[in-house]
Amino acid sequence: MAYSGLSLLSHALTGNKRWPAILSTPDMRSSYDIVIIGAGGHGLATAHYLAANHGITNIAVIESGWIGGGNTARNTTIVRSDYLLNSSFGLKNFALKLWSDLTQDLNFNLMYEPRGYVDLAHSDGELEHFTLRANAMRLRGGDADILTGQALQERVPELDFSGDKRFEISGALVQESGGVVRHDAVAWGFARKASTAGVHIFQNCPATGFETEGGKITAVQTPQGRIACKQAFISVAGASSAVAGMAGINLPLNSINVQAFVTEPVKPALDAVVNYNAGLSYISQTDKGEFVLGGATDGYSSFARRGSFERIEDVLARAVQMFPFLTRLRLMRHWSGTADIPMDGNAIVGRTPIEGLMINAGWGYAGFKATPAVGWCMAELLATGKTPDLIAPFALERFETGAEQDDGGIGPYPWLH
Amino acid sequence: MLLIPCPHCGLRDEGEFTYGGPARTLPALDQDTQVWRDAFFAGQKPPGPMTELWYHTSGCESWIEVTRDTATHDILNSNTPQSKVDTP
Amino acid sequence: MTRLPQGGLIDRTQTLHFTFDGEQMSGHPGDTVASALLANGRHLVARSIKYHRPRGIVSAGLEEPSALLTVTDATGSTPNLKAPEITLRDGLQITSQNNWPALDRDAGALLALGGKTISAGFYYKTFKWPRDAWHKTYSKIIRRAAGHGQVDPSTNPALYDKRHRKCDVLVIGSGPTGLSAAITAAQAGATVVLVEQDSDLGGSLLQSADTIDEMPAREWAKDAADALRTLSNVIVMPRTLAFGQYDHGLVQAVETPQSGSASTSILWKIRAQRVILAAGAIERPVVFPSNDRPGIMLANAVRTYIRRFAVAPGRRAVVAVADETERRDTMAALQEAGIDVVAALQPGDKITKTTGRLHVSGISWRGANGKRHSARCDLICMSAGWMPTAHLFAQKGVRLSFASETQSLRPPQSDGPMRPTGGARGVLTTADCLADGKTTAHQVLAELEMHKHLNLNQPEATPAPAQGFQTGPGKAFVDLQNDVTRSDVALAQREGYCDIELTKRYTTLGMGTDQGKTSWTNGVLEIADITGANPETIGHTTYRPPYSPVSIGALIGAEVGNEMVPTRRTPFHDGFERLGCVFQTSGDWLYSRYFPTAGETMMQAIKRECLATRNSLGCVDMSTLGKIDVQGPDALEFLSRLYCNAFAKIQPGRLRYALMLREDGYVFDDGTIARLAENHYLVTATTANSGSVWRHMQKMAQVDWPELDVTLTSVSDHWASLAIAGPNARKLLTALAPDFDHSSEAFPFASVREGLLGGDLPVRVFSVSFSGELSFEINTPAGYADALLTRVMDLGAEWDITPYGLETLDVLRIEKGHLSIGTEIDGRRTPADLNLGGMVARKKSFVGGALLNRPALQQTDREQLVGLQPEDGETSIPYAAHLSQSELDSKGQAPLCGHLTAAIESPILGHSIALGFLENGQERMGETLWAHSPIAGKSVRVRVTSACAYDPKGERLHD
Repeated sequence: MAYSGLSLLSHALTGNKRWPAILSTPDMRSSYDIVIIGAGGHGLATAHYLAANHGITNIAVIESGWIGGGNTARNTTIVRSDYLLNSSFGLKNFALKLWSDLTQDLNFNLMYEPRGYVDLAHSDGELEHFTLRANAMRLRGGDADILTGQALQERVPELDFSGDKRFEISGALVQESGGVVRHDAVAWGFARKASTAGVHIFQNCPATGFETEGGKITAVQTPQGRIACKQAFISVAGASSAVAGMAGINLPLNSINVQAFVTEPVKPALDAVVNYNAGLSYISQTDKGEFVLGGATDGYSSFARRGSFERIEDVLARAVQMFPFLTRLRLMRHWSGTADIPMDGNAIVGRTPIEGLMINAGWGYAGFKATPAVGWCMAELLATGKTPDLIAPFALERFETGAEQDDGGIGPYPWLH
Repeated sequence: MLLIPCPHCGLRDEGEFTYGGPARTLPALDQDTQVWRDAFFAGQKPPGPMTELWYHTSGCESWIEVTRDTATHDILNSNTPQSKVDTP
Repeated sequence: MTRLPQGGLIDRTQTLHFTFDGEQMSGHPGDTVASALLANGRHLVARSIKYHRPRGIVSAGLEEPSALLTVTDATGSTPNLKAPEITLRDGLQITSQNNWPALDRDAGALLALGGKTISAGFYYKTFKWPRDAWHKTYSKIIRRAAGHGQVDPSTNPALYDKRHRKCDVLVIGSGPTGLSAAITAAQAGATVVLVEQDSDLGGSLLQSADTIDEMPAREWAKDAADALRTLSNVIVMPRTLAFGQYDHGLVQAVETPQSGSASTSILWKIRAQRVILAAGAIERPVVFPSNDRPGIMLANAVRTYIRRFAVAPGRRAVVAVADETERRDTMAALQEAGIDVVAALQPGDKITKTTGRLHVSGISWRGANGKRHSARCDLICMSAGWMPTAHLFAQKGVRLSFASETQSLRPPQSDGPMRPTGGARGVLTTADCLADGKTTAHQVLAELEMHKHLNLNQPEATPAPAQGFQTGPGKAFVDLQNDVTRSDVALAQREGYCDIELTKRYTTLGMGTDQGKTSWTNGVLEIADITGANPETIGHTTYRPPYSPVSIGALIGAEVGNEMVPTRRTPFHDGFERLGCVFQTSGDWLYSRYFPTAGETMMQAIKRECLATRNSLGCVDMSTLGKIDVQGPDALEFLSRLYCNAFAKIQPGRLRYALMLREDGYVFDDGTIARLAENHYLVTATTANSGSVWRHMQKMAQVDWPELDVTLTSVSDHWASLAIAGPNARKLLTALAPDFDHSSEAFPFASVREGLLGGDLPVRVFSVSFSGELSFEINTPAGYADALLTRVMDLGAEWDITPYGLETLDVLRIEKGHLSIGTEIDGRRTPADLNLGGMVARKKSFVGGALLNRPALQQTDREQLVGLQPEDGETSIPYAAHLSQSELDSKGQAPLCGHLTAAIESPILGHSIALGFLENGQERMGETLWAHSPIAGKSVRVRVTSACAYDPKGERLHD
């Protein structure tokens, strides 16, 4: 049943009593071609593209909780591709292109709003560095501009340039195709489409172990039974160490708490997504009217999903520098999630030492924006056995060779990324 | 906000400290690449007690070893660091 | 007026004036805006978010889902305040939200005609075509329709602060439980902090008809509160909302001296050994068709408005209260206020509809025997039961469990620092709450060894009424604030959004500013009802702080504007100010940027400063460099392990350029190592890394190599450092009259000397150069900075000494191809990438050596540092350009092989030069490439050169 204005009307006439469920509720088979562990955005996108691009639907997606209940549910919904390194830019810019068509592809309104991503620089030196990034993006086919002074003020009229500021605003990198996507809808849209295509999705079904034979994956164990498979794909965000550990794989990453928070909803007062760089603070306003904010990680290993309030005070202080009116609003809710941050701060995507077992982990706090691109590329890898160029730099083996993809140049200290 | 027991200064607020990551044994300098990689690219310990290093920046400027439960943030122990050298 | 002629806790001797949507109204001290509005006969105060249905005041507390208002006072306006949380003040302007053109004729109500087409999640199913229509059209409409109030964009003059408090026992809530607990703890000598969100202490006692110790409950509460205030070991904090529980017993609270205004609030951080959570309970609404009309209120709220505020919220009341005791109490209160009780529904009755346009006018129901009833009324008092306010407890991730006997989510027994007590664990009667407060207090006192353990019996939770109300079909609201109906919850189950978290996210149930305080338990029960599941298996969504919204102004306190973070100034700051310096924020520092003469632009000043330094003499502040003193018998061994280059042969009095790697083999920092004496070294770190290099060295010394006998001291702030540079630098040094032999033979490049200048100014002088000129970095104890600067400027006048700042520093180092942190040393470079491969020692082991051997770091075609010059010798190279062998294609793109790290106009060379990283750059000298900067709109042909563009042999370092 396609979603449309017309279907809304016709269902309204029958009291909305005939809407089908977005997920089918199949019985679990004893074997599938592919078992995807983790029904977050990345895992579900992979299932969708396996079906849509490669015609493979003999897939089980198993999820320990509810669909989209991990970091898909706990991010600040920002999408952008403003990276200097070709690898980071490439994958995220491909995602940005996919985002713009996904609502139609999935027949589910993901509410992609390219409101513009505005990254503020606080000195001429920093602006020069942002220009280097903007030039790289443009030369590689992305969109980016550098705005200063009046032009920046006109682009973000709500931004406060006046007053006694600790860090001046020298200018900004602006990516107009950046913006926000309704995070929950991403999981639901991919799940619905994949389920319709015949993919089996099982909630409340964690992976509890792997079976291998001759270095090759043969089955995934779950409390609901053993699932034989030709390939398995781990895409479980903050649980990556634990799940990969069941297969004896040690991922070079640390799990760190990242927070986000919202104000009470008010009428529209900010259009763009804006990032403050002298101490990180990013902010946008949701369609519902809340301001949603985030900042750097809490900076130490944690699985508590409960944040340090000092970080919130810190991020808010910076947000108020940009938008002083925020002092008049009230903080409504704050939450946190577990971000897996590898030793170079960049994701681990691709093969593992176990044949047929693939991994997608370590997205830190940058995973949401890459969702469809990871799904697309992982589907290609699982379907064809060939690693797409876009994910090749993110292979686990790079820590052996030293080909790290360290956007920040920070080094093997995940808590600093 | 954590309250971290500094063995030199007593209970102090998290804001006074700088995190130093999981306590790990620094290999001897003449050890080979594989040993260093294993030491530095070691993965995350599962949720539960973990020994880690904190530096008391706004205090005694000492590195301390803190055992903290990463699932609850409860602090189980804190100490001055032990020698981590494999071979001199 | 519906104010009762007598009673209540209001001060009738004073009248406060306020307006609601422009209409003049009045009230008294002791009123909230909610009670004052009701006293002025105002029920309709809001429009709902989605259907724009008329809404009134439902509750008398922070749980209020409907009555969201904008409050304007002298400091400006604050949106979304809940009517019951705002203490009435004179001159307040209250305005309703989310309606047009007026509250009583809101055009938005037409949306209700959309009816079932705009059920839960409808926006996920439509607004999809054409491709950009969501962003360009629909989202703009939806966004304008969403949100509640408007934010005031004017400058906020309010002052905020953050403060700390510490105590043995923190009691949250001052109802019977909290008062009883606080008194018990205080009597045992514990230090007690009692926080109460309301302006008055007493909680439920303020509207209770009970007696305690043969006194009316309200008087008992007043006596108890007064007694607590007199005790020196008790701090009573009214108007203070404890909103969150954080790690290690931290409770954060916000005090609002002008209660209910977001302005002028104080954030309190309270550390207690034990926390008694006596936050009471919230009444559960009844879900029935059109249960949202103004005039339909929680029964406890009605009792509160009557007894505490002396307001009659209606004339003809229908009572729909499930619990018999509470029903009787409600009817008693209504009678006290002279309100007719036209009907009292019995549990099991089925409510089928209510009527009324802007206010409830009637209700219909069917008795258990099937008989139809209806009544005309202007007030419906409803209650399905009570829900413990255990939010703060649950915030730490502890699951609450649904208890069938109380029909609510209850906290488990806890031996942690926070103890839910009284209403917060489902104990409801006044007598039981008093007993529970005392019991818990004794328990924690025994744990703190402040009292011997008494075996007191903990009261049982109060059971819920055996039977509730039935309800007929129709638009029955579960979440009033977000307009979520029972059929929305049903739709979510039907469409597969079955997990409670999915139900929440799909329907927005519980996601409003009230965070579902009145709606969550009903949501769970609705799901159970629809799916047939046991409510105990449904669980709940995550409880997150804050309990109720808190002012962002209070959360940031005084950390605004220039005071957001501290500013560091170097010891030369004042002296430079006198020299007309323009400063620049650089990280923590306020650093000298350039020194313009009258009428000069920055570019002109830089050019002048550069030429003066190259041709005669300049001086620059180097104080921000990290300076670390290393002493001890193992100092050399320590440094040798830490830095990758060899310097074992360095003699006392000499220094070396040195490179430090991270453990993973990439370059971390550069600096100098000066050997002051046999076992005494002074090393420098770059400004950006001074903190991290210091911590790194401390870690190695304290944690990794404790066997080395070495003492580290950070002396960064002890020394002011001024570099004099230029061909006349040694002449100035002579003029400064050092007491050591400073001839070029005795004091050559890369040396250090200690002594006095002019017989009295203590200095350490390092002959090092970042500019490429003959140069001396003169360090003096920070207190002597002004003296040094004055002598340097006075004596340097002979050679027209020119102070310069960061800008010129940068130009001079780029001309020399010297490295800068963040541009060349960007955390992704090996020594070889920086043309420093030759420095890496072969004969020793050092940190980073092992992982530097990884194949990707040893590849010979990596990006390497090169210089670049315009092919035509004159075109300006745009900064931040990228290198390519190709011209831009038709899309403005090109395959890239490197990028610039710096590009300047060199005053001494008279043309543009640049530094950059180029793949396999060392093998490509002389090659011509494109430097593309689409942002600048420029593509320039450049020739690859060595990184050092000026004085490549370094002859100028020597004289």
